[in-house]
Amino acid sequence: MKNSIIKLFALFLLMGFGALFANEVQAPEVAANSTHMEETYKAQPFMDMIDGFLHSTGISALMEPRADEMNAHGEPISDFHKSWGRVIMILITFLLFYLAIARGFEPLLLLPIGFGGLLANIPLAGIGGDNGFLGIIYHMGLSNQLFPILIFMGVGAMTDFGPLLSNPKTALLGGAAQFGIFGTLVGAVALAEYTPLFDFTLKQASAISIIGGADGPTSIFIATNLAPELLGAIAVASYSYMAMVPIIQPPIMKALTTDAERRIKMTTLRHVSRLEKLVFPILVLVLAILILPDATPLIGAFMFGNFLKESGVVDRLSDTMQNALINIVTIFLGLAVGSKLAADQFLVPDTLAILLLGIVAFSVGTAAGVIMAKIMNLFPGHKVNPLIGSAGVSAVPMAARVSNKVGMEYDRTNMLLMHAMGPNVAGVIGSAVAAGILISLFQ
Amino acid sequence: METNLVVEGVKFMFLGMGAVFLFLALMIVMMNIMSYIIHRFFPEPQPIVKSTVVPEEDNRKIVAAITAAIAHHRQG
Repeated sequence: MKNSIIKLFALFLLMGFGALFANEVQAPEVAANSTHMEETYKAQPFMDMIDGFLHSTGISALMEPRADEMNAHGEPISDFHKSWGRVIMILITFLLFYLAIARGFEPLLLLPIGFGGLLANIPLAGIGGDNGFLGIIYHMGLSNQLFPILIFMGVGAMTDFGPLLSNPKTALLGGAAQFGIFGTLVGAVALAEYTPLFDFTLKQASAISIIGGADGPTSIFIATNLAPELLGAIAVASYSYMAMVPIIQPPIMKALTTDAERRIKMTTLRHVSRLEKLVFPILVLVLAILILPDATPLIGAFMFGNFLKESGVVDRLSDTMQNALINIVTIFLGLAVGSKLAADQFLVPDTLAILLLGIVAFSVGTAAGVIMAKIMNLFPGHKVNPLIGSAGVSAVPMAARVSNKVGMEYDRTNMLLMHAMGPNVAGVIGSAVAAGILISLFQ
Repeated sequence: METNLVVEGVKFMFLGMGAVFLFLALMIVMMNIMSYIIHRFFPEPQPIVKSTVVPEEDNRKIVAAITAAIAHHRQG
């Protein structure tokens, strides 16, 4: 075995030298017919070639960044972002891998995003650039907002509106939780106005605050629309916080409710007929058409997926949307978002502000949902357990599961899961509407 | 005059929350109307309830069994 490897290596060396000499012999001939468009190959001393190779290694590119290296958009970047910045970013992607694999943080998205980030930070290769494959994927479906829409279709095909239809008023909780978006918007512009550290435009502030909608595709849709330069940080913040819903929400929910409120039992959900489920997507879409056409790309795709599912006659298509299509798009979406994790775009002070504002947006949304449930209880009618209010932030179905879990802590027999699914899916519609409003405001 | 971004943000907030609530409130109203119409005019065909009435013959046997059991209980 060892012998054959040595033989093979010797053969390679021989061939290498053979090629070297052949080139030297041929060189004058090529120079003679210079009408050819190809650049003439100049013979180089072997030492220069070795030197050239050493300069094209990743080690040298990271240690002594080349002056002529540009970022993905062909703009010059600082030496820090070419050297240590990239090392730091690669370590951050390793952290994302750890969170996704060992801690189970939204692995479906954080792994593709993390790996895309790893690839985008490779020096010299330019994978995230216009001609690199990540750049091509980015232009194929992210810069034109196609991927988030396709994801929405799949999510629609996976959503069951039954719990919402059987208790329609819980939709208000999904609306209240959108205060996380708009409250944070005010916070972000206030930060920009009164602190010298951050400088957000209104568009950027809107793109950041949509993290409060707790809806990955919507965040990406808005970010590519309003502030593509912040996309990487917004997507990472959005998905990381969605994964952290079971940690972020319970303390807020417990702080805002009394023990008696947490034990409220809700009336059993009534049966929802198939026809109701079938008419519902059309109903919402018609409302969106009449009131807010700017939200129809998201709501339209969402309801299309749901309509196919509820129609019951195209199981093949609905099955494809729920599985094959959404899986393929998730891979592309993750990689394309990852390409925005290049050091020169991510390692900026703005990222810190985005991470900070993101968690504020999440918490405010959760609190607003709980408070709205308490307000609804002031009115006559069936009482609402305020714990399901927190599910009004989208994050389907994680937020609903959290409501159920916290409810069970106080009363083992209190099953809140299906009750919480109502505000949960209403939250998806609510954040799509909020996204539509933000887009319409900037037109 | 420089526009005050915070004031702009507050305007966004009121408009945004207003529109979200308007949309969802309309949605709730429409959902209730839809459910009412569907239940009123297009009720789901109820699955025919299988008659659980046991034939007379069986009934008598059961009564006999119960009576025997009670008698046995009282004796013991």
